[in-house]
Amino acid sequence: MPERIWREPVDSEKLKHSKAEIHIIKDQCKGCGFCIQYCPKKVLEESNEINARGVHPPRIVDESKCILCSFCTSVCPDFAIFVVEKEHEENVKQN
Amino acid sequence: MTEEKAPKSKVSEEIRIGVYVCHCGLNIAGSVDCEEVAKFAATLPHVVLAKDNMYTCSDQGQALIRNDIREHKLNRVVVASCSPRLHEPTFRKVCEEAGLNKYLFEMANIREQCSWVHLYDREAATEKAKDLVKMAVAKAAFLEPSEEIEVPIIRKTLIIGGGVAGIQAALDLADTGYEVYLVEKEPSIGGMMARIDKTFPTMDCSICILAPKMSDVGHHPNIELLTNSEVIDVKGYIGNFHVKILKKPRYVTKDCSACGECTKVCPVTAPNEFDAGLAIRHAIYTPFAQAVPATYIIDMNTCLNKEGVVVCDKCMKACERQAINFDMKPETVEIEVGTIIVATGADVFDPSALPNYGYGRYPNVITSLEFERLINAGGPSGGHLIRPSDKQIPKRVAFIQCVGSRSNRNERLYCSNVCCMNTIKDSLLIKEHWPRTEIYVFYVDIRAYGKGFEDLYRRARKEGVKFIRGLPAEIIEDKKTRNLWLIGENTLQKELYKINVDMVILSVGLEPRKDSEIIQRLLTLSRTQYGFFMEAHPKLRPVDAATGGIFFAGCAEAPKDIKDSVTQASAAAARAGILMAKGKIAVEAITPITFPEKCKACGLCIKVCPYNALTLNKELRRVEVIEAACGGCGTCAAECPFEALTQNHFTDEQILAQIDAVTEHDAHRKIVAFCCNWCAYAGADFAGVSRMQYPPSARIIRTMCSGRVSPKFIERAFARGAAAVLVAGCHPGDCHYINANYQTQKRVERFWKRMEQLGLKKERLQLLWATAAEGERIASKIREMHQVIKEISPEEIEHSKRVFEKALGGG
Repeated sequence: MPERIWREPVDSEKLKHSKAEIHIIKDQCKGCGFCIQYCPKKVLEESNEINARGVHPPRIVDESKCILCSFCTSVCPDFAIFVVEKEHEENVKQN
Repeated sequence: MTEEKAPKSKVSEEIRIGVYVCHCGLNIAGSVDCEEVAKFAATLPHVVLAKDNMYTCSDQGQALIRNDIREHKLNRVVVASCSPRLHEPTFRKVCEEAGLNKYLFEMANIREQCSWVHLYDREAATEKAKDLVKMAVAKAAFLEPSEEIEVPIIRKTLIIGGGVAGIQAALDLADTGYEVYLVEKEPSIGGMMARIDKTFPTMDCSICILAPKMSDVGHHPNIELLTNSEVIDVKGYIGNFHVKILKKPRYVTKDCSACGECTKVCPVTAPNEFDAGLAIRHAIYTPFAQAVPATYIIDMNTCLNKEGVVVCDKCMKACERQAINFDMKPETVEIEVGTIIVATGADVFDPSALPNYGYGRYPNVITSLEFERLINAGGPSGGHLIRPSDKQIPKRVAFIQCVGSRSNRNERLYCSNVCCMNTIKDSLLIKEHWPRTEIYVFYVDIRAYGKGFEDLYRRARKEGVKFIRGLPAEIIEDKKTRNLWLIGENTLQKELYKINVDMVILSVGLEPRKDSEIIQRLLTLSRTQYGFFMEAHPKLRPVDAATGGIFFAGCAEAPKDIKDSVTQASAAAARAGILMAKGKIAVEAITPITFPEKCKACGLCIKVCPYNALTLNKELRRVEVIEAACGGCGTCAAECPFEALTQNHFTDEQILAQIDAVTEHDAHRKIVAFCCNWCAYAGADFAGVSRMQYPPSARIIRTMCSGRVSPKFIERAFARGAAAVLVAGCHPGDCHYINANYQTQKRVERFWKRMEQLGLKKERLQLLWATAAEGERIASKIREMHQVIKEISPEEIEHSKRVFEKALGGG
């Protein structure tokens, strides 16, 4: 259907979004960067910090962007990142 | 006709031609002296009788020809009347009934290409008509009887487009007992009708009456439904089409039970196209509740998983039936069908092209399609008419008609047929739910032409809908309230208005599908100037395409409402059914004839054949024709340098005889025009039907394809003193013989070079691409060439006669 789509959908406010809580176990990170690279929403970036293993662990850019796919957990070779779901927050607009 | 070349007929009897000049009431007789033309025809060689009558195509006219054939032992018949595209089949049948082979019939087009285009010059029109008759008689003398081969018709139909038209055609054919493939581009069938809330004039719920039909399509044993699929290639001809369909992956298998658990867990969203972007959907979704097939689909542009990497598997985990498969690949399905129905529908006009209405900038200016989704209980607002800016129910609403129709501004001069009634229906819907809403309708004319339409219009006025004639010139938005001011002139009361409303609905017109060019190319169809598909005849064959075995249904052919779409769909199904019930069809006997003794086995013809219908027999060192594969363009005959190949019914000698007839007198004032049957000749007919006037200097010779035009025809015309030559065919890419007209282009370009070298004016040979709808292009080209030939001196004519002298021999 080729009509031009330009509006904010009128029912977007009804959408319930899960809120994510990202936990990074910094000292367990070896700085491979997989989580940063594979995050589909680009939630993470490399930080300036240096951890116990002498590398830069990731840091959260924008937690609200996270959609809880947990792919970071799956790809992390060192079990250094996991995401838990906070309760539903109503009336939160999608970015 | 020059006397020295007495036709060598295979029918070893005296040639006896009967000529019938038709008055067609005053259509021809109004500007051509038909009696004089008939008298002139009687003087031509081999003509044994020439008559003029009022309506040759009438029963009496046909009986007259039949009697004459028997009584006067006629063995050739020439009718000078309308276009052969209209009545050639009629008269061929008359000949057959009288025992004469139908290929011994020839027609002179003195209506579309003479009387109608020279309405005000009786003398010149009569002269031209005489020439056209002379040409037909000259060709007739060389006609040969031919037998047609019959090819079987595959009893299956392809329907392109699963809107209401495609659905209706599919059900009609499937119920008759034919197998149907229904191809739909979108994830579900239903088309535009599924998106509309109520239908006019009965106010039926649109999806409620459509959904059962959709469901029937899904369950019918004779229908194979291919959604999310596109036709990518069509080869073959009437009765035997070979079609390739690209089936795009859904990523959800048929095991899907449409429970919707996957959608609940899908973390990403996008605007739902079905709801015109007004509602949200997830990456895995179904466009609407009644979708057929009910199987969900994953939109890979939105989904997190790309190229085989499964990042998010929430839907897979939620799916109890394990119906989700991210490994699905696009597949190409190949099918064989006998007939094709094009039901591709129409797009709606994008009003952001009209900046004065502010669509795309003002949130409360919406289109009629967006309105349908807003007022629909299954839509994003649950049927509450809310305005987008503050989600409040508007108290004052305005409809603006003819947005993208009947206006020069966007080159859409046509009426879109449905918008007036749609607006009236919409206004009543608002009144039904919120009776106190003030409604204004700004219109140009209200066209309530159909059954029950006027009653609905009256009802709307009775309910208090205010109809104001005169479209607003501009819409201005109040930045604070987001209300809209409409400013314009009420042309009935001759006063200016400035009206404040909460929401404006633009009643957008229909336009051809943006991708209809693809279907046009694949099926070699013609389109009108506005881009809708063109029917074979506007009155008598309104659902047939000019290409055999292809039919139209719904808005693909022109904007129409649901009832008309359904009517046309049933008509198209019946037309396709007629063909398939017969089970076989005769193919016109216009394939090549070879003269093996002249063939040098050079293979040039094989290279130009678009159908691979020619093969080289290496042992016998000659070319052989596969008749069933031949399309009948004749470009091989034009390519052969040794005259070892010619096209049946369009032989060299027949065409040369026509050229000679044109150039017998006053050649220096004439244009010899070669027009292809499908586009240019049809375009010239269209110019006639539209009464476009142009100078009477052109004499059109019909060939099936412009690729038939051999350079020796052009040489012959110049050698005989013709002032100019026009070669006209379909636009490149639109050729009805795949690509034969590329050969035309090459040959004409080569000829131009030769003309330059020989010191001839290049303008004397012109090449024109025109579709069947571009009558004006043909007319203006002839006007332009008329100016060219006026300036050609007798010396130049003599010069060209001399340089091409050789072309006078043979033939």
